Amino acid sequence: MTWAAWRLQRTETLVTAAIVAAVAAVLVPVGLHMASVYNGDHISRCLNAPKDSNCGAVVGDFLQRFDGLNALIGWFNLLPGVIGVLLAAPLLLELENGTFRFAWTQSVTRRRWIAGKLATVVAVALVAALALSQLVTWYRRPLAHLDGRLETASFDFAGTVDFGYVLFAVGLALVLGVLMRRTIPALFVGFVSYIVARLFVDSWLRQRLLTPLSATWKSSALGPNLKTAWVLNEGPSDRFGHFLHPAFHSIAVPCGKGQGCIVAPPSVYQHAVYLPASKFWALQGLETALFGGIALALILFAAWWIHERVA
Amino acid sequence: MIEFHLDARSGVPTYLQLAQQVRQAVRLGILKPGDQLPTVKDVVGSLAINPNTVLKAYRELDHEGIVEGKRGQGTFVAPNLPSLPPDHVRGLRTSLQKWIDRARAAGLDDENMAALFADAVRPASKVRAA
Amino acid sequence: MSALVASRLGKRYGSNWALSECTLDVPSGSVTALVGPNGAGKTTLLHLAVGLTRPSTGTVSVLGRSPIHDAAAVLPSVGFVAQDHPLYKSLSIADTFKLGRSLNKNWDDGFARARIDHLGLPLSKKVGQLSGGQQAQVALTLALAKKPELLLLDEPVASLDPLARREFMQSLMEVVAERELTVLLSSHIIADLERVCDHIVILARGRTQLVGAIDDVVAKHRLLTGPRSDSAAVARVHNVIRESHTERQTTLLVNANGHVYDSCWQLHEVDLEEIVLAYLGQRAELSA
Repeated sequence: MTWAAWRLQRTETLVTAAIVAAVAAVLVPVGLHMASVYNGDHISRCLNAPKDSNCGAVVGDFLQRFDGLNALIGWFNLLPGVIGVLLAAPLLLELENGTFRFAWTQSVTRRRWIAGKLATVVAVALVAALALSQLVTWYRRPLAHLDGRLETASFDFAGTVDFGYVLFAVGLALVLGVLMRRTIPALFVGFVSYIVARLFVDSWLRQRLLTPLSATWKSSALGPNLKTAWVLNEGPSDRFGHFLHPAFHSIAVPCGKGQGCIVAPPSVYQHAVYLPASKFWALQGLETALFGGIALALILFAAWWIHERVA
Repeated sequence: MIEFHLDARSGVPTYLQLAQQVRQAVRLGILKPGDQLPTVKDVVGSLAINPNTVLKAYRELDHEGIVEGKRGQGTFVAPNLPSLPPDHVRGLRTSLQKWIDRARAAGLDDENMAALFADAVRPASKVRAA
Repeated sequence: MSALVASRLGKRYGSNWALSECTLDVPSGSVTALVGPNGAGKTTLLHLAVGLTRPSTGTVSVLGRSPIHDAAAVLPSVGFVAQDHPLYKSLSIADTFKLGRSLNKNWDDGFARARIDHLGLPLSKKVGQLSGGQQAQVALTLALAKKPELLLLDEPVASLDPLARREFMQSLMEVVAERELTVLLSSHIIADLERVCDHIVILARGRTQLVGAIDDVVAKHRLLTGPRSDSAAVARVHNVIRESHTERQTTLLVNANGHVYDSCWQLHEVDLEEIVLAYLGQRAELSA
């Protein structure tokens, strides 16, 4: 059974490996370069001396230099979806083409066959997810020191969430495939659904999974170090931490040569709503459980459906 | 070695056709005492028929004493069969051919020739049976 | 000893009974024909026998066991070739055999390779590039290489040209000659089946119409012709399968219970194809 499961998934496994290799080919050279710049310019010093103005410029420079690629990493979020639906394809094609009738009339029971196939799918999916997250995490280490890991772009590939993402895509494709009975449309709809779900979670749900912290401080004071935190909202506020209406953020005063000047009122406070870096693993755990739990339910449903299927 | 053929539409059961062909072959000297008959596997492999049919034919021939089955080796034509000496057969065949030529020249077609022969043979067998 | 026993077996899809009240017995060592028109339930019966489907009513047992509940014990002993013999088109023949070995406990690789060699097919060729007849042969090889006791074939030669059909049957009979194998094969082509099979099951309208040894079936059925009359007298003693009347003549096809004594009838033998067609409820065609 083992050889059969792997051989029938050979193409998809190779494509997955190629995708990961392509990502590596992009990230490794730039990552090495970025790491050497980071170390060479001793940017790590700046972490402990935030008020050093020279630091501000150096860090800003550094971030801007490698900004372009960071945008690209946002697009890498599609990859767990691609890999997930791709790995679901061989099983769905068996059902569509009728070759499962061949497989179920050899000497392995239906249950064993389904379990074997799913095991190889999940194995490759998890390895791919691990590889992708490790590659991006490694690449982002210098940036993580500066920016933290809770920022969306970073969070998406850190920790364990990728396992959840890939399995979720697998589960979606499988369930859609067994219900629609047509593989290509199922893969397409599955992929689109994956994107919609990810966007929903990334932009709306994630920030509501944990109760954020708040801080209010005088604008003149230093305020908490929010560099590695995920700032959900920040802005001028009153003494009690209520955000000011944008109209009150600044006042216009005449300012030399008869032209208007915008200045911020000196006695205003700043308020921030944020998730500190220490909440990283809690958030990872929640999101992984969310996607992973749904994935497990989807995969088990698909397995049950296939098992009960009338030939 | 004999090669069987099958007339699926003749109405004669397959096993009888096979048996008939063996008897015919023995009569004409195509199969001699001690010759091996084709194996069941070979026969079904060329005719696409049920092996039991071949077994049935060979069993019938065995009962008639025309062949004998040797366990593990196959089916062979029985060693002590009365068969016509080949010279006689050849001679008879030649004179038969001459008669056929004369009959054709006289305007008889195949059916008429067969009817003539059947008519002539009948009194002979009646005499033998009596 | 029976290789396959069905008892009042039925299968329903929605409100449609694909098979009902199917009772039959396939003797061990026989080559049994399963005939019937499309939609008669032949495929359903075979799928029930191999555990691809669950019965709605009744039971089926294969080599004494349930193919659903005892799947692990039954599957290794049953070879099955589904209609259109599904194979993985992108695999080579060699890889398909590796698949067979991977999915089967008793796999005779030597036999499989020898057979393919004998058929003249290169092992490295992709299955998708083979002709229909060649694919059917590969599918049959796969089913045979696991050394089954029972072989189920669902219209294995339906899509093959006459030469490929003949070669398939020759090949199959060679295997039957060499080993203890029970075969149940469904087909439309009655002439083929008559050469190859010794038992027959006629399925029509989802029910078994006739089950028996072919020799017996042919021996017991007779065509009765006579002056125009009522079939009631005959029907009291024998089973009238089909009757037709012209102005002056009546023709009956009967399954006789013993001798037909009524002297006003002329008796004729009937060939298997005529018998089958009568049970299928069709008008007799003149043989070509």
